[in-house]
Amino acid sequence: MAMETIIADANGIAASTSPSQVRVQLSTRYPDISLPENPGPILVNTNFRRYALSTLVNTLLQSERPIPFDFLINGTFLRTSLDEYLTANGISAETTLAIEFVRATIPPLYLASFEHDDWISSVDVISESSPAGKWAGSAGARRLGQERMLSGSYDGLLRIWSMSSEVLATSPSAGSGGHTSSIKTAKYISPSHVASAGLDRTIRLWKYSEDPDGFTASISPQVELYGHKASVDSLAVHQPSSRLLSASADHSLGLWLTKRSDAPAAPTSLLPSANSRSSKRRKLGPSTSTPQRGPLSLLRSHTAPVSDTIFAPNDHTVAYSTSWDHSLKTWDLPTSTCVDTRSTSHSLLSLTALPSLNLLAAGTSARHITLIDPRASATTISAMTLRGHTNAVVSLAADPDSNYGLVSGSHDGTCRVWDVRSSRSEKDGRVGESLYVVERESMKGKGRKIGGEGVKVFGVAWDKGVGIVSAGEDKRVQVNRGKGMVAEKSA
Amino acid sequence: MAPQPSSKKRKAVTCDSPEADQVLLSDGGDDSDTALLHGTRSQSEEETDVEDEDASSDLFDGYSDLEDEMDLEDALVSDQIPSTSERDLADLKRNGTATSSVTKEKEDAEGPPAKYKITEDANGNPRYIYDDIVPVYDSDDSDAPATQNTIGNVPLSFYDSYPHIGYDINGKKISRPAKGEALDALLDSIELPKGWTGLTDPTSGKPLELSQQELEVLKRIQMNEVPDEGYDPYPDTVEYFTSKTEMMPLSAAPEPKRRFVNSKHEAKQIMKIVRAIREGRILPYKPPPEEEVDDLQVKRYDIWANEIARPDHPMNVPAPKLPPPGYEESYHPPPEYLPDQNEEKAWEDADEEDRDKDFLPTNHDALRKVPGYDKFIKEKFERCLDLYLAPRVRRSKLNIDPESLLPKLPSLEELKPFPTTCATLFRGHDGRVRSLAVDPSGFWLASSGDDGTVKVWELLTGRQIWSVRLGSEEAVNVVRWRPGTEAVILSAAIGENIYLIAPPFVDPEIETKGREVLDAGWGYAANGATINATKEPAIQWTRPGSRLEDEGVLVKFSLRKTVKVISWHRRGEYFSTVCPQAQSSAVAIHTISKHLTQLPFRKLKGLAQSASFHPSKPIFLIATQRVIRSYDLSKQELVKIIQPGARWISSFDVHPGGDNLIVGTYDRRLLWHDLDLSVRPFKTLRYHKKAIRAVKYHQGGLPLFADASDDGSLQIFHGKVVGDMMENATIVPLKVLRGHTVKKELGVLDLDWHPSQPWLVSAGADGICRLWT
Repeated sequence: MAMETIIADANGIAASTSPSQVRVQLSTRYPDISLPENPGPILVNTNFRRYALSTLVNTLLQSERPIPFDFLINGTFLRTSLDEYLTANGISAETTLAIEFVRATIPPLYLASFEHDDWISSVDVISESSPAGKWAGSAGARRLGQERMLSGSYDGLLRIWSMSSEVLATSPSAGSGGHTSSIKTAKYISPSHVASAGLDRTIRLWKYSEDPDGFTASISPQVELYGHKASVDSLAVHQPSSRLLSASADHSLGLWLTKRSDAPAAPTSLLPSANSRSSKRRKLGPSTSTPQRGPLSLLRSHTAPVSDTIFAPNDHTVAYSTSWDHSLKTWDLPTSTCVDTRSTSHSLLSLTALPSLNLLAAGTSARHITLIDPRASATTISAMTLRGHTNAVVSLAADPDSNYGLVSGSHDGTCRVWDVRSSRSEKDGRVGESLYVVERESMKGKGRKIGGEGVKVFGVAWDKGVGIVSAGEDKRVQVNRGKGMVAEKSA
Repeated sequence: MAPQPSSKKRKAVTCDSPEADQVLLSDGGDDSDTALLHGTRSQSEEETDVEDEDASSDLFDGYSDLEDEMDLEDALVSDQIPSTSERDLADLKRNGTATSSVTKEKEDAEGPPAKYKITEDANGNPRYIYDDIVPVYDSDDSDAPATQNTIGNVPLSFYDSYPHIGYDINGKKISRPAKGEALDALLDSIELPKGWTGLTDPTSGKPLELSQQELEVLKRIQMNEVPDEGYDPYPDTVEYFTSKTEMMPLSAAPEPKRRFVNSKHEAKQIMKIVRAIREGRILPYKPPPEEEVDDLQVKRYDIWANEIARPDHPMNVPAPKLPPPGYEESYHPPPEYLPDQNEEKAWEDADEEDRDKDFLPTNHDALRKVPGYDKFIKEKFERCLDLYLAPRVRRSKLNIDPESLLPKLPSLEELKPFPTTCATLFRGHDGRVRSLAVDPSGFWLASSGDDGTVKVWELLTGRQIWSVRLGSEEAVNVVRWRPGTEAVILSAAIGENIYLIAPPFVDPEIETKGREVLDAGWGYAANGATINATKEPAIQWTRPGSRLEDEGVLVKFSLRKTVKVISWHRRGEYFSTVCPQAQSSAVAIHTISKHLTQLPFRKLKGLAQSASFHPSKPIFLIATQRVIRSYDLSKQELVKIIQPGARWISSFDVHPGGDNLIVGTYDRRLLWHDLDLSVRPFKTLRYHKKAIRAVKYHQGGLPLFADASDDGSLQIFHGKVVGDMMENATIVPLKVLRGHTVKKELGVLDLDWHPSQPWLVSAGADGICRLWT
């Protein structure tokens, strides 16, 4: 009771004025914001909303700078008053509510758009916290404010952008060693190395050099990797082991070395020079000057186009791949064998890992995201389903700040931010709903487009410093602030 | 019997006797000399004897004097006047007889000369020559009729006070016959003549005599018999219709037609009546009687006059009606309702309250044998008690879940996956998109349209990868991929030309393979030409020209008529084309490796609409407007004619299993044929508002099929075919996909399934292709 009076005093609300009160038990998963001493069940007015509860927790924490909190009750964020919540869910005010508080997320604010000439298929960011930046270490890492953004476009060109929406460098055209067709994927290997692949069935490694002043830069082709017989749709890089994984529509996964010296020779039949007719017709420039290499191995087990692949977050000898044949396969890379196959009921189009939860998130053509536990011990294939998109989910990125957040890009023209903790049980397993929907800025206020026409999102990346970067059919890279959107421990 | 007639006789006698006496007393003297009475005199002598007897009998019988006196008086009164008339009559008669006797005497006196002359004949014997009879009036009165009374209808009683009873034809009085003559009466009474009745004929006043025949009749009437003599009341039965059944007909003549032909005359009569009824001349039913005007004298009270309909309220429950009696309660129930012995015993053993029914069905032969129902009073009493005491509860009338009336279909959740939403739009064609196809690997989509281009798209993203313009005036009616992933070849028909394309966007290795496949037949082309040169110039496979060759278009040939359908054989070696306008060369089969075009179906009945190879057998199916014919290619014979019963088939598709067929028609029907079952449709689905343009089975193992219609919608069906012959295919409508806009009465022109995924692509007349996932 003493505590209660304190609370009531602290909030300036007379507890006695409102007769309806409910007993709550506050808890959190984060030690840094955990309450100094367990206060036990607290009586609060049922007309409290998030803000009042947040003030209460801040009072309890006695923090000098108030932290906005969000409150999870039974897996849903409190968005109404407690009274309304109780009524809506049919919970008696007599029971003790277990409320978990987390740092409040902030809606993703639109920051900027980078305009292109053609559809953008893929986007990647390098910063000091991005994987490539981390691998590079302090030496080559991009400091805060010096992040660079890489975009691969359907016009076959790679572009490197500074965060002030300037194109620092553009890859050479098809005639001078560039991609002869659309780029489907592009990834940073290191701050100075870039990999890209696309419809021309080749993976190209590029060297990116930037003047110290940061205003002029150049991309030069380094290696061309031949081996796939169809469009390469996705790349995964692991810089420390110089490995590169590619997922291709020819139903195979390619494992490549990024080092030119060690990589095996390219299969001659696939080289453009092998086909005299096409080379004669298409050779417009000195394309042969670029070294051509072949794959370390091609992993064939999928029966349909492979849509996405990643290295296991903790073990670079393990890779996961998703395919149109509904399966998620686990590969042991040293032996190039398929270790495990998880079959779902839909075509899987994208993949990302949630390392701390030991889950893989896979976007499907059936408009949802499936969370799959790839471990052999897992009993169920689908741990959770995230529903909300209205078209195929083709790109996923994990929240760099949180273990529970992820962002998805879909053909319906939206990116959605998810918190896997916010979920409810339905008859077909746990189902989550998105926290925020990031619309395309180019289509603001024009309503929903059927089939995501003109606004399809093809690529999404989430960087700690830059935020959510998404690109798509509207020929723009859109940057939204991503920090603090999904609650995570503060620094 | 004996004493009665005797007494009657005697009575009659007594009646008459005083009269007779009177007559005797009065007329006794006159009669003595009348010649008329000569004959009766002897009789009267006898009568006197009888009279004596009668007198004695009077004494014996002791008849009342009063009665006698009355009669006597009557007789006196009656005889007062007649005495004179009778006398006159007697005189007349006496005169009559007198005159006649006089003439006779005259004749006798005058002798023969009066009437005849005696001459002498040749022998000297006398010869009598008689005078001619003069035919004067009354010349021969022997023929004169008996005097006729001419009083007409006047009753004779009017003359009772006169001595005469009327007048004869000459106006002379007819004297009363001597009826009352006592002697006559006495004599009559003594010897009753045959047929004596004692009655007087009212017309003639004579005693009524009956003939023997009449007596017989009277006797029979008395005996309660039919008066007619020859009548037999019990004649033998004449069997007009025998009880014996004749086996043979009486006549072998065939039954005349009129026996079973409706009578025209009757029909006419009926029509006459019908017409009269229609015109209102005849009222078929008696109009209901007019409400009788209330008799003001009688006072009537309408006790329900002020009653208002009570609202349907739980507090006002009308008395429940007893159910109508069933078969069991019949006096003569059907045998299945009759309890057997065990049931009967069980019923009797059961406590009265435990019985399921309070009576035992019993069989009676006839209604009159049904005994009285002993529980009637009790039952009625209990019913009244029930109505009075039992609280009533309203029960809702019908508790049928409407859902349960629907046929049991598998839930849509179970039938997933199937396309539900539009995932991608493929915008880029100028004008209608006529045809589209997903490539065997499922990565590309080829489409063609009115703008004369063939475009290839990335299926998932909707990115146009490649495009070639085959012509500018004509539309590319159809585009199809060659089956098989080892070589990618695209076939397209623009107008009457067919192009075979090895598209350059694929892997060089595959592209090279495709080129090899297409180029392999160049050597054969010349040979083929020589073979066919006899009939008509063979169809030449040529190079399309360097511009197109650079684009990857390698082969071109013309079929002289607009090609509407291309259908590939599963191995990719053959493909067939259909040109509906070409009469005998409508269906052509082309061999890729030899660059050879054959026209095997020259005598096709009807306009060919579509054609297809069977997915597993060497069977070729050709759809004309109304039927689909399947031909065995190896035996070169017609196998089956499938009759969908449609007016105009637009397209058809064979199930990958090979035993089922779907047919789309321009008359809006989608027909499922089970080829093993029948040549008629197994199921008819008519859900579209407009013509169906295209139908397609999913070829990648999913039990799906879809149709595209001019109403701008696509319909997805679940069509599961079980290998078991006993089980029919399950067909469930799944989803209507709407999105295409209808332009110029055209909606969706073509559709295709993804080879493995449950994805559908459709080509719209609005120039947009759509991917549905």
